[in-house]
Amino acid sequence: MRKKLEGNGLWESSRMMLPEHKAAINEHENALRQRQRVELDEQEWEHVARSVAESLQQRHQITLRLFHPVEELTVIGIVDRVDQMKGRFMVDGEWFSIRDIEGALLD
Amino acid sequence: MSLNKVILLADCQSFYASVEKAEHPEYRNLPVVVAGDPERRSGIILAACPIAKSFGVTTAERIGDSLAKCPNLVIIKPRMQLYIDISMIITRIYQSYTDLVEPYSIDEQFLDVTGSLHLYGSPEELARMIQTRIQEELGVYTRFGIAENKILAKTACDNYAKKNGSGIYILSKDKLHETLWTLPISKMFMVGSRMTRHFNAMGMETIGQLAETPLEKLKMMMRRKFGKNSDINAELYWRIANGIDDSPVTPGTHQIAPKAVGHMMTLPRDYGKLDEIKVVLLELTELVCQRCRGKGYMGHVVSVGCMGADYDRPTGFSRQMKMDDPTNVTNQVYRAAVELLKRHWDGHPVRKVGVSLSQFSADDEYQLSLFDPNREKTMALERATDAIKQKYGDAIILRAVSITDAGQARHRSEKIGGHYK
Repeated sequence: MRKKLEGNGLWESSRMMLPEHKAAINEHENALRQRQRVELDEQEWEHVARSVAESLQQRHQITLRLFHPVEELTVIGIVDRVDQMKGRFMVDGEWFSIRDIEGALLD
Repeated sequence: MSLNKVILLADCQSFYASVEKAEHPEYRNLPVVVAGDPERRSGIILAACPIAKSFGVTTAERIGDSLAKCPNLVIIKPRMQLYIDISMIITRIYQSYTDLVEPYSIDEQFLDVTGSLHLYGSPEELARMIQTRIQEELGVYTRFGIAENKILAKTACDNYAKKNGSGIYILSKDKLHETLWTLPISKMFMVGSRMTRHFNAMGMETIGQLAETPLEKLKMMMRRKFGKNSDINAELYWRIANGIDDSPVTPGTHQIAPKAVGHMMTLPRDYGKLDEIKVVLLELTELVCQRCRGKGYMGHVVSVGCMGADYDRPTGFSRQMKMDDPTNVTNQVYRAAVELLKRHWDGHPVRKVGVSLSQFSADDEYQLSLFDPNREKTMALERATDAIKQKYGDAIILRAVSITDAGQARHRSEKIGGHYK
């Protein structure tokens, strides 16, 4: 009962929503949260490639921004391996796809 | 207004009727209503256009009464899915002005435009801009209550914007004593005819009188009338009267997991036999369980409600019981529901039946039952029927009892919220 006086309680307890309408709203909101892939241009790719190579060779920590359909995903660590054939790289024992890289920053 | 938030409550005038009028330009100058099916009991006016209202037609009255007032009334069957779709288009339009949009019902939505207002000018100019756009794109007239919080925006819309010529009204909090507080208490949000009577009996005729009553005194007065559990409601009414509301416009508000899933229906005729009621009970249980399965919930408590058919001598019950284990298997919930029905139904004809399931837990882990060795099998069966229904509609696969005279599943599958899709 107390909830009516807290947060959004007044409106959550008094509204009339059809379940079908609610489902449509949630679907729309989830669709809004879907992220688009960022296209990198040549210069940016070059920067990413150089940073990854430096991390791999000099053992420098790197922060990589990766694509994820709904979340903001960053990988921080030292690049251990790069597998060009399979288009993937390894940070701290975990493989990630090179195609997903959206930005790189060396510390 | 500079330091405060700017909240808009946008409301669509005669929403269903406006949508139908936009879809049927030939009815533009005729009185139009959207009304349920006259043969079933849903035969009441759901929405009346302004022309129909000028004849005295009101929402929720019977079709027959409306026809008596306005013989050339155009009656249109509801198309609920269309109204939901249009409502979503309107949401998207609002979202092009601010990301803080919270739908409150199918035709009312809150907008927090504090952060984007500088792009558009004054609150009034922005409201006018949105109003014109929706009118042009969808043929729906929207009204805007504007204030520093949600309750005042809602109040501004209901009491002023809906009645003035422009459909836009700004309710400023420091002018309440000459606006809101002069109105009779029946005009207050959340106050219906019953509460109006109670407040009048306490000596309060206007919203201002309620607002000026010290909260502690109001709590005392309400405790005397409604018992000691009325403190929260007392504070709620007091806050509404004073325009106090700190609730934020919350876009994700509908993502919150529900506490209970229930279905209820008004029957097309009164059901007097246990066997008949059981059929509807099973159908409703099936729908409830289907929704729970879709969301991945199991419920522990089942409740059943029945309302008697006789308006003059109200009968009926609403009881709940805890099942042995949480479940979303239709037959298990149904068994408990029938038990409740048998125990509490007094034998009088029934016009409304409802089933709901609550106290959820996730359905990816469950207790193995010694008494139901077929559980895996039933669950697989239900997953399969759910998938078929998802793809082809609820009526594609039915229980055999649903094609008896008492069955309502086929009718119900054609409907949303009790009205035609």
